[in-house]
Amino acid sequence: MSIKVDPGLMKELEVFGLKDAKKCFHCGNCTAVCPLSEGKTPFPRKLMKYLQLGLRDKILKSPEPWLCYYCGTCSEKCPRGADPGEAMMAIRRYLTAQYDWTGFARRFYTSERFEIVAIVIVAILVGIGLLIFNTGNPDWEHARLNSVWPKEKIELADLIMAAVLSFLLLSNAYRCIKFILGDMLWRIPFKYYKAEFKELIVTFLTQKRWSKCEDKMQWFVHLLIMTGYSTAFLLVVGMIRLFQRDDIYPLLHPIRLLGYYSTAAILYGCTYALVGRIRKSKSPYKNSHPTDWMFLILLELTTLTGIFIHFTRLLDWPMATYALYVIHLMVAVPMLVLEVPFAKWAHLAYRPLVLYVMRVKDRYLEAEASEVPTDETESEIKAVT
Amino acid sequence: MEKKIGVYICSGCGIGDALDVEQLANIAQEEFSVPVCKTHAFLCSAEGVAEIKKDIENEGVNAVVIAACSPRVMHDVFNFDGCVLDRVNIREQVAWCQPPGEEDTQMMAEDYLRMGITKVQAMELPEPYMPEEEMSKDILVVGGGASGLAAAVAAADAGYKVTLVEKEKELGGFFKKVKRAAVPPYKTFVEGYLDELIQKAQSHENITVYTGAKVEKTAGGPGLFDVTISQNGSTVQHRFGAIVLAAGWVPYDPNKLDKKLGYGKYPNVITGVQLEEMLASGKVKKPSDGGDVKNVAFLLCAGSRDPEHLPYCSTVCCIASVKQALELKEADPEANVYVVYKEMRTPGQAEDLYRKAQEAGVIFLRCQDPEVESGATGLIVRGEEDLIGEEVTVEDLDLVVLATGIVPVTAFGEEVNPPQEDEESQEEPAPTDIILKSDVLNLEYRQGPEVPILKYGFPDSHFICFPYESRRTGIYAAGCVRRPMNVSTAVDDGVGAAMKAIQCIELVHKGAAVHPRAGDLSFPEFFMQRCTQCKRCTVECPFGAINEDEKGNPLPNPTRCRRCGVCMGACPERIISFKNYSVGMIGDMVKAINVPDEYEEKPRILVFACENDAYPALDMAGMRRMKYNPWVRVIPLRCLGSMNIIWIADALSSGIDGVLLLGCKYGDDYQCHFIRGSELANIRLGKIKETLDRLVLEAERVRFETVTMSDYAKLPEMLDDFAAKIEEIGPNPYKGF
Repeated sequence: MSIKVDPGLMKELEVFGLKDAKKCFHCGNCTAVCPLSEGKTPFPRKLMKYLQLGLRDKILKSPEPWLCYYCGTCSEKCPRGADPGEAMMAIRRYLTAQYDWTGFARRFYTSERFEIVAIVIVAILVGIGLLIFNTGNPDWEHARLNSVWPKEKIELADLIMAAVLSFLLLSNAYRCIKFILGDMLWRIPFKYYKAEFKELIVTFLTQKRWSKCEDKMQWFVHLLIMTGYSTAFLLVVGMIRLFQRDDIYPLLHPIRLLGYYSTAAILYGCTYALVGRIRKSKSPYKNSHPTDWMFLILLELTTLTGIFIHFTRLLDWPMATYALYVIHLMVAVPMLVLEVPFAKWAHLAYRPLVLYVMRVKDRYLEAEASEVPTDETESEIKAVT
Repeated sequence: MEKKIGVYICSGCGIGDALDVEQLANIAQEEFSVPVCKTHAFLCSAEGVAEIKKDIENEGVNAVVIAACSPRVMHDVFNFDGCVLDRVNIREQVAWCQPPGEEDTQMMAEDYLRMGITKVQAMELPEPYMPEEEMSKDILVVGGGASGLAAAVAAADAGYKVTLVEKEKELGGFFKKVKRAAVPPYKTFVEGYLDELIQKAQSHENITVYTGAKVEKTAGGPGLFDVTISQNGSTVQHRFGAIVLAAGWVPYDPNKLDKKLGYGKYPNVITGVQLEEMLASGKVKKPSDGGDVKNVAFLLCAGSRDPEHLPYCSTVCCIASVKQALELKEADPEANVYVVYKEMRTPGQAEDLYRKAQEAGVIFLRCQDPEVESGATGLIVRGEEDLIGEEVTVEDLDLVVLATGIVPVTAFGEEVNPPQEDEESQEEPAPTDIILKSDVLNLEYRQGPEVPILKYGFPDSHFICFPYESRRTGIYAAGCVRRPMNVSTAVDDGVGAAMKAIQCIELVHKGAAVHPRAGDLSFPEFFMQRCTQCKRCTVECPFGAINEDEKGNPLPNPTRCRRCGVCMGACPERIISFKNYSVGMIGDMVKAINVPDEYEEKPRILVFACENDAYPALDMAGMRRMKYNPWVRVIPLRCLGSMNIIWIADALSSGIDGVLLLGCKYGDDYQCHFIRGSELANIRLGKIKETLDRLVLEAERVRFETVTMSDYAKLPEMLDDFAAKIEEIGPNPYKGF
């Protein structure tokens, strides 16, 4: 069965940030210099050809876009200025849109206006919600958030939100691995998934493969944002009862220290990325899609408003604290609701998951290919786990 | 000529350290009683040369033997008008390649000196050939395309009268069809690229243009080409000094292409040339129904680089197709344009054009073997895409454009069968050139009516060493008839060929040879009383210089001659000789070698070395102070093809133990300056067995090797190896007879 060349795909991907891929003349330098490209899953050159020929199916089934951490070495070494790193990024945006069954991601990526309007609407809804749903009896003497929005209520809202987001993200993530593995997804016995599960967690937490890239700073900055964000997420969603307290913890209290760490890490990482993108300081920062900006701006604003709240609480200014709290949530909630399942944030699921299933697949195929009897393989897997 | 010989021996550059120069001088004085013999510590200095000049003026010395460095250096210093001269190479080939102070080294130098003196004794001063008829300096340019126009204008600007013959009604050649040209530096497309040249050619006072005309007949040789030109039924005759062959090319016949490309089957499959015509007219429409063209695929290398069709790359189709693709994209940026290539060949600045096409959104696919089929909504191109390793299809095509290659007009016509030899006289006939009756020049040459072709129908000579030269002296090929090239290169090519034609005319008017023996005033003379009409000379002359009469007598055309001496080597009766190069002269040199008797255990090996490659390689070995066998005695030959087998008989019968022939590589990538001299020498060697049998000698005593100049490092081993063989066979029993 032959594949039909589709001249339309390149044009379609332009809104996802594709610019120079047509310049590629397939010398393969990019794949040669990429520290992550490996035998069975070479990239980015292969993907450049898929793009040029408009091979949608091939792209949809490709794990490679998620194996790339965009250090930008390929783009620096490209003799044609075809910017393969950015092409991979554009493919990731395109894939995020493709994986999302609601069609929301597609609109989000393809229309800047839609993106802004969606965020504004969610923000307004959050604002109105907070104004409508409160105790109606705020403490105007002291800054006590729980007197307006009790943590138990916030926790409930948090959990509902987390459930909805998880459902959306996981359903999209399922589509992602279904595209990549196809029928094999269910054919691979569960034991292989189990055997590699540790890898999923480690990758999710550390992105250790990224450390193989030449520019380690990218990995470090990402790690700061990721750990800062995860800590903050844990504090405000799972541990809101401990976090949203009206008495301020002593300076060296673990919860307060965790809060400081996450704030500092996000602030540094996010500012670094923003400044980088403004200055176009390195090749991954050269081209910024509107969604890249939106994500960083929302995160930066969330962090800043969080810091302000902390200060107003320390100063014990009730009015300012409550007002900032509303603004803080008006920024943070849209960021979570829109970015996590439908936009850039979704990579937190796709990237480790694809790496994981590719390892599972490799392991399965290896076991199938080798003549080793199954029970031995099983015991081997047991030994590993 | 009454000769007074002067021998001058230099002791500089280490010669004096290696050799006893005084003893060497004794050889000249005692064995040859030369009237003047001097040694000098620095012979090429102003004082040294002045001393020789003084002797020439005051003592009447007119035959000079310089025993010093290689003849390949200082030839401008040791240059004495009116004197015969030989350079005895005792520096590179004795002092620098042999251990100093040894008896063998001294013997080698002495032999070379004997050979040198013997040589000048036999040499005469050449008298330049001047035909009785008046020679012309006019230049004929055949073909009025890019290269022809450029050649005509360049030659006319240089002051030569030019006649330009074009077979079409107007000048411009193929490029008449092209409206917008892609030429370096490929920044923009150029319109009317040749207009200025055409205008110049038409208005130049030195150029006569014949359009709608052809060359009916070309007789004579350089300086004496009598050409009959026909135009509109009438003919004119004119004498020319040289000819530029710029007859151009035709696109490969698409009907001959593989059927799977769809030409002839689907009306919307066209050639690049057809599209060029459409683009020039401004109407790119589907041939089938005149409908609009939205989706176009170009198939490059249609029939090119394919052993079944054109085995070579035509170099321009990639660039031309990319240009056309860009034009289509510029006319309609929404058009889908695909280029299906085998390998993209856009060298130099043309790469920018390729990049531009990519940026414009032309889609490039790499398929080695695409095919065209018909679909419901248009044509389909199907092929295995190399870079994804799977079959892909490009569908809904309105037009498929086949980029066909360049075929020189000289590639057509039936092959001339050279006149067959008598079966008995030659068991192994000399290889002959391929000549096709392509009806371009219609030469009156014994070998056939056109210029011989080298490969694929191109009338080239050695591509790297002799650009523009054909195997017919005075006829210089330019443009796509020489090799595929783009229009801007063709223009440069025309100028280059014109310069070669001018050089030829000027040299021929002095009676001198053209490249590679440029300026040589000698030419072969035939002692006709002893000719047996065997035709060896006419058959073997690589340049068709010798015609023959109906009885088979050779009719030399000295202006066609390049002085290689192949005829001299070929002649079994040894009736062909040059004033300064003859069978007798070399024979005397061979006999001048002092052969020690067998008890001295000093074998002698005679080396006939081609002076163009093997001899310089021997020099190079000396320059690098490589040591080689002391038994060898080297005689340089103009070309190994001038080797007459009598010399081998001479050498062996005078007691020399072995003969080594060092010639150039021959065959497809030949390196011979005279096409196939070394090959001919090797063929002649096949006949030496008879002689050896008669002398009851071993066939291994004669060996043939091919060397290139860069093989110098292999020479010592090659010589030692042969010497070891000779030692194994034992001494030549004829020693002392």
